[in-house]
Amino acid sequence: MANLAKPMSVEKVPVAGVCPECGAHALKRYEALSAGGWFQVVKCQDCLASVERKPWKRLGYVDRGHVDVILNARKAAKP
Amino acid sequence: MSGKIIAVDVGGTFTDVVAVEDGRITTAKVATIPASSDKSVLAGARALGVSDASVFNLASTAGLNAVLTRRLPKVGFLTTMGHRDILDRGSLVRPLEAITDPTWRRNFGDAGGRPIIPRYLRRGVKERLNAQGEVFVPLDEAQAREEIELLKRCNVQGVAICLLHAHRNDVHEQRLRELVLEILGDLPCSISSETSALIREFHRASTTVMDVLMKNIYGDYTKRLQKGLDEVGFKGEFNYSDCSANLLPSDYAMQRPYQLLMGGPAGGAVSAAHFGGVIGDNNLLCADVGGTSTDISVIVEGVPWSAPTFELEHDLVVSATSINIVTLGAGGGSIVMATPEGDIATGPDSCGAEPGPACYGDGGIRPAVTDAALAIGILTPGGFLGGKKRLHPDLAMKAFESLDTPLPLAQRIRYGWNMAINNIAEGLLNISIGRGIDPRDFSLVACGAAGPMILPCLLDQFPIRRVIVPPYPGLFSALGLISTDRVYSDHRGHYMVLDGRSAPLLNRMYSAMEARLREKVGADQPGLRVLRTFDARFLGQSWETPLIEAPAGEIDEAAIQTMIENFRTTYEKLNANRFDNLPVEAVTYRVQLVLPAAKVTYPAAESAGPPQPIGETTLRYLYDEPRRAFEYDREQLGIGAAIAGPAVIREETSTTFVPDGRTATVGGHREIIIQ
Ligand SMILES: [Zn+2]
Repeated sequence: MANLAKPMSVEKVPVAGVCPECGAHALKRYEALSAGGWFQVVKCQDCLASVERKPWKRLGYVDRGHVDVILNARKAAKP
Repeated sequence: MSGKIIAVDVGGTFTDVVAVEDGRITTAKVATIPASSDKSVLAGARALGVSDASVFNLASTAGLNAVLTRRLPKVGFLTTMGHRDILDRGSLVRPLEAITDPTWRRNFGDAGGRPIIPRYLRRGVKERLNAQGEVFVPLDEAQAREEIELLKRCNVQGVAICLLHAHRNDVHEQRLRELVLEILGDLPCSISSETSALIREFHRASTTVMDVLMKNIYGDYTKRLQKGLDEVGFKGEFNYSDCSANLLPSDYAMQRPYQLLMGGPAGGAVSAAHFGGVIGDNNLLCADVGGTSTDISVIVEGVPWSAPTFELEHDLVVSATSINIVTLGAGGGSIVMATPEGDIATGPDSCGAEPGPACYGDGGIRPAVTDAALAIGILTPGGFLGGKKRLHPDLAMKAFESLDTPLPLAQRIRYGWNMAINNIAEGLLNISIGRGIDPRDFSLVACGAAGPMILPCLLDQFPIRRVIVPPYPGLFSALGLISTDRVYSDHRGHYMVLDGRSAPLLNRMYSAMEARLREKVGADQPGLRVLRTFDARFLGQSWETPLIEAPAGEIDEAAIQTMIENFRTTYEKLNANRFDNLPVEAVTYRVQLVLPAAKVTYPAAESAGPPQPIGETTLRYLYDEPRRAFEYDREQLGIGAAIAGPAVIREETSTTFVPDGRTATVGGHREIIIQ
């Protein structure tokens, strides 16, 4: 079951290399939700140029654990 | 103005060149080098002796092609903090094909080639003007510098600046440009208050971005051309053609080069308008049939239909007064194909310049409309491009045989040809009826290399008065560059309900624009005309009726009344109602200074006795049985010559087909009239 006590935040993982657009050493990999759905991206944290962008899991961070939490909560609410 | 005038029109396959001297027209065609079209321009100019010419006019498609293929320089975009997605948001209108498609999605952010500047190069600046143009949040220069420094690290080659409400007050845009030039050095930088001081931030932003892109592209292009022209000793004036096919001196054009984006296609329309004036026919539909497409324009009472903006692609808008051109995907290179059901369809796919139609023998295996014309016998193997290109009927037939359909060969060819004509007829009908024009009152000007061959057949399908084939139909668009005037123009946007109280402000705006333009043009130019127009709407409407005439001189209360009356009259013509009780709100104001330029003259035709055929051809497939048709040489036809169809009239760059039951007559200026 998902740990609801710990608030969720996106973890940005540093990636080696320089930004091809501005030359900064500031590339990071993380997940982003946009109009086209969830993507895993590598972006320069300095200029925000998108270096890599590929589709990620359809529901993003939502997994079976979250679904269970919701279902259990509904079950508990019923008399 | 006297001396030789040279005009160059760059097309996808060929660059057309015409020279006019003492009323004599000479022509040349050179192959277009798409990657560096300036080289083909110079080659064409040299072919007709540009060194002793006094004027050199150019319609260039270099900018348009760069945008359509996205081969663009890297530029930055600065805007009011929180509004960097102006370009993304666009006009919020879905494209027509998406209206019935629920899965259609706008491309956002970093995906899909739109908007034209990627998000990381669009940066917000802390500042804000209110709608009256007063400073609401002062410009945060330190923050602006940081953003510009970032653009510097990204090696941008130009910067477009568009701030909210800057059309009312340019103070922040001017200061930002100073900072850009200070930090980035001398590079192209366009500000919206100068480029396109109009209401509506998306249109303003989009136009400003196009402007800075074009400054990049045309800046070097113009330098290379000027150098090439200098080398051959050309000392005359060098003009570009803009979206209305007006001529702009090259140095002036470089101040707002976004106006050059649609310089090519407008040529045919002004050429038709000018030629219509010569032969006394002012209501025209002009169809320029090229290899892949047909450009259609409408000329009413001698004036081409125009619009204040055009869209290059969906939500890629440029605010420039431009001649309305509707492009149909039908031309000499349109592919004839078998549908899955075994029917015959023609276009919109095209064989393009390479490999070209099957009959060129350059590797094409799918039949095109040109192949059908050859199979029918309208074209003959040796009679293409003045005999410079041989056509191969066997390859054309083979291409038709390869179609996967149970239809016999004769029907494949006949249907393919008729479908091509039908596509153009349908397009013309939509355009004319859609604009409230009765085509029965209009003549159809057939130009482009394939126009005179295909369009006369429309007479059987489309209720048009007659078809006119002008002299030099294959170079008609290039002749448009010698059929027009030099124009200096300016515009401003400002919401204003028209009544007596608006007179002083309106007067200041018009006279300031006019004074600035007069300064550029120089004092006392002979024949100078000043044209004022405005776009307006009824108060509460959200769209304007564009390009309404405004009176010259001082704008006083009486002048305002004239403007209101002009608006209501125009509105009534278009929409059948004048709403005398509704107030009128003006939105955009334009001034044009028109300097007459030397124009091509079409010499009067001479008489040459009854027409003598130069040969005979057999028309197959087109009618129920083969028909003999006489062939004529256009050069030998004199005024009044009448030819009964079916017949074929040949000239170096084009072939005119006179269908069965129609008559071709040669008019006073060597035009062929088919009715
Ligand atoms: Zn970067």
